Amino acid sequence: MAGSNEVNLNECKMVVPLNTWVLISSFKLAYNLLRRPDGTFNRHLAEFLDRKVPANLNPVDGVFSFDVLIDRATGLLCRIYRPATAEEPEPNIVELEKPVVGDVVPVIIFFHGGSFAHSSANSAIYDTLCRRLVGICKAVVVSVNYRRAPENRYPCAYDDGWTAFKWVNSRSWLQSRKDSKVHIYLAGDSSGGNIAHHVAARAVESGIDVLGNILLNPMFGGQERTESEKRLDGKYFVTLRDRDWYWRAFLPEGENRDHPACNPFGPNGRSLEGIKFPKSLVVVAGLDLIQDWQLAYVEGLRKAGKEVKLLYMEQATIGFYLLPNNNHFHTVMDEISEFVSSDC
Amino acid sequence: MLRYDSTSSSAGSSSGSLSSSSSSSKPPQQDIDGLLAGAGYKVRSSELRQVAQRLERLETAMGNSPADFSQLASDAILYNPSDLACWVDSLLTEFAEPPPTCSSDFIVDPVNNQTVVNSAWTAAEPHTPQVHQNITYDEQQSLDNQLTVVTAMEEDSGIRLVHMLMTCAECVQSGDLSLATSLIDDMQGLLTHVNTVCGIGKVAGHFIDALSRRIFQGMGGGSVNGGSAFENEILYHHFYEACPYLKFAHFTANQAILEAFDGHDCVHVVDFNLMHGLQWPALIQALALRPGGPPLLRLTGIGPPSPDGRDSLREIGLRLAELARSVNVRFAFRGVAASRLEDVKPWMLQVNPKEAVAVNSIMQLHRLLGCEQTRNSPIDTVLSWIRGLNPKIMTVVEQEANHNQPGFLDRFTEALYYYSTMFDSLEACRIQPEKALAEIYIQREIGNVVSCEGSARVERHEPLAKWRRRLSGAGFRALRLGSNAFKQASMLLTLFSAEGYSVEENEGCLSLGWHSSPLIAASAWQAVPAWDNHMSSS
Repeated sequence: MAGSNEVNLNECKMVVPLNTWVLISSFKLAYNLLRRPDGTFNRHLAEFLDRKVPANLNPVDGVFSFDVLIDRATGLLCRIYRPATAEEPEPNIVELEKPVVGDVVPVIIFFHGGSFAHSSANSAIYDTLCRRLVGICKAVVVSVNYRRAPENRYPCAYDDGWTAFKWVNSRSWLQSRKDSKVHIYLAGDSSGGNIAHHVAARAVESGIDVLGNILLNPMFGGQERTESEKRLDGKYFVTLRDRDWYWRAFLPEGENRDHPACNPFGPNGRSLEGIKFPKSLVVVAGLDLIQDWQLAYVEGLRKAGKEVKLLYMEQATIGFYLLPNNNHFHTVMDEISEFVSSDC
Repeated sequence: MLRYDSTSSSAGSSSGSLSSSSSSSKPPQQDIDGLLAGAGYKVRSSELRQVAQRLERLETAMGNSPADFSQLASDAILYNPSDLACWVDSLLTEFAEPPPTCSSDFIVDPVNNQTVVNSAWTAAEPHTPQVHQNITYDEQQSLDNQLTVVTAMEEDSGIRLVHMLMTCAECVQSGDLSLATSLIDDMQGLLTHVNTVCGIGKVAGHFIDALSRRIFQGMGGGSVNGGSAFENEILYHHFYEACPYLKFAHFTANQAILEAFDGHDCVHVVDFNLMHGLQWPALIQALALRPGGPPLLRLTGIGPPSPDGRDSLREIGLRLAELARSVNVRFAFRGVAASRLEDVKPWMLQVNPKEAVAVNSIMQLHRLLGCEQTRNSPIDTVLSWIRGLNPKIMTVVEQEANHNQPGFLDRFTEALYYYSTMFDSLEACRIQPEKALAEIYIQREIGNVVSCEGSARVERHEPLAKWRRRLSGAGFRALRLGSNAFKQASMLLTLFSAEGYSVEENEGCLSLGWHSSPLIAASAWQAVPAWDNHMSSS
């Protein structure tokens, strides 16, 4: 870890509220327990420690949820969040897949974070986040419980994302009345943001429209050590060593961080010029050590002529969007809301 | 709540399964940080600073000796991760003093101890197949292909069937029996359009039968559980083999009992439902391997009287004694024959005040929740005498379901989705006749929940949250099941079951479910010392 421990601990305590600090620190602590130096992962302990919540058909703050198994072969589950309507304040258990009501109903396919190894669609923090997205975007949110590393390396997470995408796209009950099509947005934080990018790329390749990508602190990287990585290593909850561990766990064995999954616009990447890639909203936290890679990603999109809005939150650390107790949180939620509603 | 998409795979089934859970947000307790609570952590606002300090200390310690820290991860047993203050503390203490060599892990290494586990089951039931047929990949493919592709029409029919079942149940509740009857006919007809081999078609068939019986036999209660004790044991045994629910119950309870017996030389297990004694070989083996040697083990098994003069309880006892002898565990068995648990009196158990007692109840307590909520209802009586025994531990495993609601429609709905989920999980089982007989076992439960009333309705399942309140109110406090029990349960699943099962930890209790729906929950309890209890010794 770069820098002395004490200094680092004090620094990050000054930029986040105390409860956020406790939350993210306890994740950090737990995650340190789970990663083994030999590259294996203590999955049993991970599942024991992860705080999960069940789906809930009874609307809470106007949102109800239910789980659907969309691929038996891989056990791929998705949790679907829907707004309770005035006509149907208590959803009928038999009619969960009632057609959405509206000329334009955004459907956000959400990929949770966790650096490809941690968390699930039913993790409490992500359940909370998805419920919020329903409210602010007046959308249906589909949270994908993709397979995780190191047990399931690249391309499993992307394949699961693609399976979920095709499933969502083929649901007649998710179609907007205006054009009988499903209005899909892809969203994700950390590794989820990375997955969103790759699923979007695959979608456009297959000729299916994606209306927008929302990437929150997306997880990208590369072989080179960037200035932000050197400067911020170990300072705000995250170390280069753990980033490296997660890439080693996710990427195919023997591959380095210039693999296009990790570095889409790097030496092995591919330009998106001439491809109908959706508009992107990319949120970068100013205290995230991988920001140089995230900014390079935004640059890559711009250079290829793709519409991208960058939200650079200077004093934000990773995970700022998990608790609604800071300004960055509210700014970002407003921007997301606007990004999605501008489709109407 | 879990639904299935039927059109995505050839072996698909559309069984809409769901448990209508209550609101997930509990009323905010005083001083608990609300935002952290939303993330699943209970921390008092007033303690935040302290917790932060401890996290810092742990982090500093970790930075200084990272190797020790990853060792810590493997060895430490963690409890109740929701209580952040508590588990950070336990990590700190573990880190400060390395843990004593842990004597009480049940399955330390699945590879090395597989013989322990296997022979345990072999000893219990000689005529059980010891190795499940391994189906080859090709055989599996053709099996999958044999299951009909679910067409759109079938999916529609499946949904219609569910609609009709609900309507029929509603009619039954409101007393409109003529409409209910005609719906039964319609549904029987619809069943012919639906695949009844798996999914919604299969479970719907059982519910239609149960509704039918209820309507035509009147509210007095049908003789659904007319099976003999012998039959029930056979069905139970196949249910045990076909899916992991009972194995999970046994493993988890045994782990907790083993830990509770640590340091005691005379121990006594009271099993509320012996059946074939499937649970006990593994405990006997584990006690045999205990560092410092095994205790003297007494087992009192409660079960129904055998009709034909056989003393089946004694036979099981003899088999278990044989096993105990073979591993040098001093063992004594006593059978207590009782048709109902509430007929058992504590003196029949002959508990010795010097022994450490474990009371083991696998899906028995709910049978005591008679319909009358009088002051001395069976559950109160039994819980009271259990408390009087001052057990070191009481292990309780119950179905995680709300099948004891007074309103019939609510009960019916819950049951429909609970058993759909359970049936769906059974699809993963490929061995026969275990699967078929397990289905009959479940079918009988459905029949009892749906078509029986009054004293005949014994399957009065209540969810863990309710049991927590009830047991706390009866003077018990929860012993937390920790990360080692969780790990055992997870490993068990990997060894013996299909993908799709999941273990979850919830405030010190463990539950096993299919995908994200918990179906069975295990907890452990201890009597709170009472000042006026003559028999207690603190």
